[in-house]
Amino acid sequence: MRTLRNAAALAIALAACADARSHARAICVLVDVSGTYADQRAEVVRVVKSGILPRLLPGDSLIVIRIGDHSYTKDSVEATVTLDSQPSHANAQKLALAGKLDRFAAGDQRTRHTDISGALLLAAEYLRETRAGRKSIFIFSDMKEELPRGAQRSLGADELAGIDVVAMNVKRLAADEQDPAAYRKRLDGWGTRLAAARAASWNVVLDPSDLASQLGEH
Amino acid sequence: MQAILLWPDRPFLSLLVLWIVSQLLLYAARVPMHRALRKTSAALGGAFRIAARWLRSASEELRGRNREVLLESGRGDAEARLEREFQRLATTFTNDLKGYPALHRRLDESVKRVEEDLVASSLTPPEAPGWPEAVAAVANMPKAGDRTVQKVLDEIHRSAQAQERKALQDWREAVAKRHAILAHGASRWKVIRGLLEQVGHSVSGVLAASGRIDGYMETYQKIQRGESSAERVLAASALNLFVISLFVVAVAGFGGFVNFQLVARPMAELVPGGAWVFGMPVSTIAALVIVLMEVAAGIFVMETLGITHLFPRLGALSPSRRRVVFGVALAGLFLLASIEATLAILREQLLEADKALALSLAGETARGASTVAAPLLSRIPVIGQAVLGFILPWILAMIAVPLEMLVESGRHVAGRALVILLRAVGGILRIAGHVVRYLVAALGHAYDIYIIVPLQAERLARGRDGDRRGGQAHHEFTPSSLRNPAEQTAPVRAPR
Repeated sequence: MRTLRNAAALAIALAACADARSHARAICVLVDVSGTYADQRAEVVRVVKSGILPRLLPGDSLIVIRIGDHSYTKDSVEATVTLDSQPSHANAQKLALAGKLDRFAAGDQRTRHTDISGALLLAAEYLRETRAGRKSIFIFSDMKEELPRGAQRSLGADELAGIDVVAMNVKRLAADEQDPAAYRKRLDGWGTRLAAARAASWNVVLDPSDLASQLGEH
Repeated sequence: MQAILLWPDRPFLSLLVLWIVSQLLLYAARVPMHRALRKTSAALGGAFRIAARWLRSASEELRGRNREVLLESGRGDAEARLEREFQRLATTFTNDLKGYPALHRRLDESVKRVEEDLVASSLTPPEAPGWPEAVAAVANMPKAGDRTVQKVLDEIHRSAQAQERKALQDWREAVAKRHAILAHGASRWKVIRGLLEQVGHSVSGVLAASGRIDGYMETYQKIQRGESSAERVLAASALNLFVISLFVVAVAGFGGFVNFQLVARPMAELVPGGAWVFGMPVSTIAALVIVLMEVAAGIFVMETLGITHLFPRLGALSPSRRRVVFGVALAGLFLLASIEATLAILREQLLEADKALALSLAGETARGASTVAAPLLSRIPVIGQAVLGFILPWILAMIAVPLEMLVESGRHVAGRALVILLRAVGGILRIAGHVVRYLVAALGHAYDIYIIVPLQAERLARGRDGDRRGGQAHHEFTPSSLRNPAEQTAPVRAPR
C-alpha cells in the first residue's frame, strides 16, 4: 500500500515536471508564382527540399502556400503536413511531401497579380492552428505586391504576433537595378508593416545556406 | 546644479549662503550625528564580528565532526584490514600446521636414514694385522739348503701373498660400499635441505604477515588514540581516493554518454510522443532511463557480490536471498545489454534510412547512393555497434565500485571544503567589520573637517571663556567627548 502511494506520488511529481510548452515548430513557405518570379519555382522547391525539409523534426509542421492573384483562399495551399512523432513515419511523410513539391515545381501556373498580404494572412491562420512553440514564415518572392482590382488586404495589430518572418531569395526587378533605393524602400516598407502586425522578427536572407540560423539551429 | 541654486543668476552668492547654512546645520547636529555614526559603527562591526565568530565556531564544530567521521572510517578500515590479515595468517597457519606432522615425519625419517647410513659407513672390515710384514719376513728369510723347508717357506709366502691380495680386495670393496652409502646419503641431505627451505618459507611468510599486522596495529592504535598524524594520513588518503574515484566516475560518465548516444535515436522510434519532461522529449528520457537502469543493475550485482556496501540492507540478507537478488540483477543486466545491442543495430539501420532520405531530398539519389554504398554495405559498423552496445552496460556496471569510493571520500572532502569556506567567509566578515568601523570613524572625521570653521570658532570662544574664568582647564573638543556618559564610564577591557 505504501509502495503504491509512493508510486502515485512519484507519478504526480513527474506529471508536475512535465513541460507544458510546445516544442514543435511550424513553418509556412510562401512561394510567389506571379510574373517573372514563377520561373524561380524549381529553385524555391530545391531550397525547401534541401534546406528546410531535412531540418524538420517529428511533430513539426510545414505548410506551402502559393502567392498568386487571390492568395487568401484555401486553394492557395499547395501542401501541408504535420510530421508524425515516430521518426521513420516522419521520414516517409517528408518523402511524400517532396514528391508533391516536385509536382508543384513541374507545373506552369503563372498569375498576373501578387497577393503577398493575403498569403501572409492565410499563413498566420494556419500557423496559429498548429499551436506550435515556434512559428516562422519564409517568403520566396520579389516582395512587390500587386493586388487584383477590388481586393482589400490589411494586417491586423496582432496578426503576426510571435511569428518570425524571413524573406528569402528576394529577386530584384528591372526597376530595382535602375534604382536600388526603390528595392530597399520596398523591403523597409514590408518591415514596417510586419512590425505593425507584431511579427517577432523580420529578416531578409540572400544566401539559402543561412537557413540553419534562420531555423534557430546554432 | 541649477536646481539647488537659490538665485540662479548669482551662483556664487547662492553657493555661499548654502555653505553657511550647511555649516550651521551640521554644527548644530554634530553631537547626535557623531553618536549615530558611532552606533552604526558598533552595530555593523558587532554584527560582522558576531557572524564571524559564529562561522568560526560552526567551522570548528564541523571540523570536529569531520574528524570523528574520518577517524571512525579509518578505524573501520584498519579493523577490516587487521581482520583480513588475521584471517590470512590463520589460513597460513592452518595449512602449514596441517602439513607439519607429515613434514616432521619426513624430516625424522630422513635424519634417521642419514644416521643409519653414517653407522653403516662406519662399519669397516678389520684389516689383517701384520700381513705385509709377515709376507716380507717370509720373503726375506734366507734360503736354506733344505728343499723341503724351502718349499714350505715358498708355500707360506704364496699363501701370505694370496691372503694379502684377498684382504686388499675385501678392504677395497668395503670402502666402495661405504662410498656408495655416503653418496646415497647426499640425496637425503638434499631432501632435508628442501624440507628446511619449505619450513623457512612458511616461517618467513608468517613473519611478513606479523610485520604487516604490527604496522596495521600501529595505525589502528594511532587512530584509536586520535593522533593528528593518523588524521593527516587518513585525510590525504581520502583526498587521493576522491580524486581517483572522481576521475574513474568521469570516465564512466563519458562511457554512459556513448551508451546514451547508441540508444537515443532508436528510442525515438520505439517511444514516440510529443511530450516533454524537464525540457527533454520523452524518448530521450527513456534512453537515459535505460542507461541508468544498467548502472542500477550493476550496483545491485556488485552489492550482492559483496564488493560494495552501499546498501546495508542488501548486505544483511541471508545468502540464499542474496543469491536470488544477484541472479535477478545479473539477468536484468544481461537483458538490458541484449536490448542495447539490438537497439544499436536498429540505430544503424535508421541512420542509413536518414542518410538515404537526405540524399533523396537533395536530389542526389543516384550519385549519393553510389558514394555511400560501399560503407553501408559493410557490416562492420553494425557489428561494432552491436558489440559496443552489449559490452558498455557491463562496463557501466563496474561504476558501483568507484561510486562507492567517491561517496565515502566525497563526504570527507566536501566537509573539509565546507570548513575552509566557512573559515574564509568568517575571515572576510572580520575584515569587513574592521573596515566598516574605520570607515565610519573616517566619516566622522570628515564631518568634523567640513565644519572646521565653526569648530575652531567654538574652540576660540571656549578658550577666551576659560581665560575669563581664571584659567580653568580648557576643554578640548575631541570625538571621544561625544560619547555618552554610560560609554565614558564603561570599564576598559583588559587586553587579551
